[in-house]
Amino acid sequence: MTTALSKVEIAYIRSSLLSAPPLRADGRSPEDFRPIAVETGIAPLANGSARVSIGKPHTSREKEAEGAGGGTEVVAAVKLEVDGVGEDKEGGKVVCNVSCSPAAYPHLSSPALDDLQSDLTSVLGSVLSHPSLYPKNLVIVPGQKAWALRLDTIIFADAGNVLDCLMMACRAALVDTRVPSTRSVEYRAPGKRNEVPDDTMDVDEGRNGPSSLLETREPSGVVDFELADYWDEGGVLEARDSWPVCVTLNMLPTMHFLDATSQEESAIPLRLHVLFAFPGGKPTLHGMRMAGAGTSDLSQIRVLLKNAEKYARNMWTGLEAKLAEEEARRSIKAREKFYGRRRR
Amino acid sequence: MDIDDLETGEFRLTCPGETITSAHDFMRGHGTYVDDELVIASVAGTVQRVNKLVTVRAARSRYNAEVGDLVVGRITEVQPRRWKVDANSRQDAVLMLSSVNLPGGVQRRKLESDELQMRTFFEEGDLLVAEVQAFFADGAMSLHTRSLKFGKLRNGQLVIVPPVLVRRLKSHFIALPCGVDLILGLNGYIWVCKHMQDSDQGEEGFDAEAVYSNQNDEVDGPTRIAISRVSSIIRVLADHFVPLTDTLFLEAYNWLIEQEVNTKDLILGDFGDAMVAAICTVR
Repeated sequence: MTTALSKVEIAYIRSSLLSAPPLRADGRSPEDFRPIAVETGIAPLANGSARVSIGKPHTSREKEAEGAGGGTEVVAAVKLEVDGVGEDKEGGKVVCNVSCSPAAYPHLSSPALDDLQSDLTSVLGSVLSHPSLYPKNLVIVPGQKAWALRLDTIIFADAGNVLDCLMMACRAALVDTRVPSTRSVEYRAPGKRNEVPDDTMDVDEGRNGPSSLLETREPSGVVDFELADYWDEGGVLEARDSWPVCVTLNMLPTMHFLDATSQEESAIPLRLHVLFAFPGGKPTLHGMRMAGAGTSDLSQIRVLLKNAEKYARNMWTGLEAKLAEEEARRSIKAREKFYGRRRR
Repeated sequence: MDIDDLETGEFRLTCPGETITSAHDFMRGHGTYVDDELVIASVAGTVQRVNKLVTVRAARSRYNAEVGDLVVGRITEVQPRRWKVDANSRQDAVLMLSSVNLPGGVQRRKLESDELQMRTFFEEGDLLVAEVQAFFADGAMSLHTRSLKFGKLRNGQLVIVPPVLVRRLKSHFIALPCGVDLILGLNGYIWVCKHMQDSDQGEEGFDAEAVYSNQNDEVDGPTRIAISRVSSIIRVLADHFVPLTDTLFLEAYNWLIEQEVNTKDLILGDFGDAMVAAICTVR
């Protein structure tokens, strides 16, 4: 995550940041982000996916600018898999994984890369796999089968502020995710057919589980499921407005700034990652982490949290607007795809 | 078409997989392969021909060093009697203890005590400007800093661009009128720093304290702003894949001053496109 800098470079960056109006290498003010680009639905085989980049000069020229302009780029994809349910749980799980492309960290050895991956995975896992964020509609057959949500992210390029980018990509991918609608299937022995005078001979319908009274009395009857409709993409994940975004405050004593480049990251002693969600406009703190060798005192943290909430709210509103736009585009895209396929 | 194009000596661009010429008449060089008796490009770049040898020079590659090139590098390792230097090349470059200026005169012998205190000259992470002196048998380059122009870099920041964008110029030390010095390393590392007064010291009386210092000089606010502005110009030009020359920096800087553009807007807004359009038409 850190580029090796010489002592003079570190001193130069620090003294610039601490000068009377704080100056940064690219002329931004401390609270400015680099341009952020979000795109959802980029992986056709995933249930939900997103690409987020920070600081790419132009999205249209993204390919051309590779290597030249730099910028952080993360791709996140959600894949739902059918999974059995243990005895005690109600089933379903959220599993996160982060991989770092070696091209993003050419200076790291492969064990160091593994360390970084597992660090980021643990941050992501501890936040997103938390029971309070667990979407209820992952259950397929209660007590038997549920969707296991696998969230895989790849860091393609790192030009600083990778965690903010990562969390934004995760949130975008999870919002983009559609859970296929299913109905339960029940098998009955042919011999018993006369005993149970039921219209639906061996199929009982019910979205996401049994709904008829008969099945609730005999839960063991439902053993399998089928997809309700091949054309239907399914419904969105529940609790979609409680996946958090992350804001990283880079702290140099007496000041802090946002969206550090990798040079700035290696020149500062302390970073504070704060994860906020705003379901219904109400701020919820989902996690907080400090990284770096420096120290900070409690009174300072309180002020920083206030600020972080403000920044996170800005980021949240921006991301929400963009995701709503992407969603509108998505339904148009899906319609085109549908008609195109039917014509064939 | 193929051979005629090659004869005229004009630059021709190819994409990977594009047929360049017949394998009967020409030999394949770097960046090409032979398939079905045709020479085919394996990288995107410009076609070059020397007699019967056809090569493609990749547009985006690591730095290919030549003797006499000026490079900016970063120390990655301190080894017995040598430093390893990252210079954006395929291998780390080598800077021998015998090819740096040591305190107390140029002509003195290297002592064991010098070996023991190599980190007082350069340590890991330090940036330096040097010249390519020679190549080792394995292709790694050997650098030297045996001039007062070369040595440790201070008072500024580094900008990295693709190496092909840095042209060979008469001088790679550029002093802009805004009080900013540029060191254009041919390896794509560009050092942007505060203007340094030319020191009149001879080779004999060189000040080791100053050359190997780890302290920045006092850099005032306007200079810092100018440094960040020049760095942003370089980044924007590199994003648009414009080859860098000294006149271009000057035009771009004046354009920014004329249009009263904030450095921030260059990165965040559309001013970058406008600037590149403006200065490229002037040329």
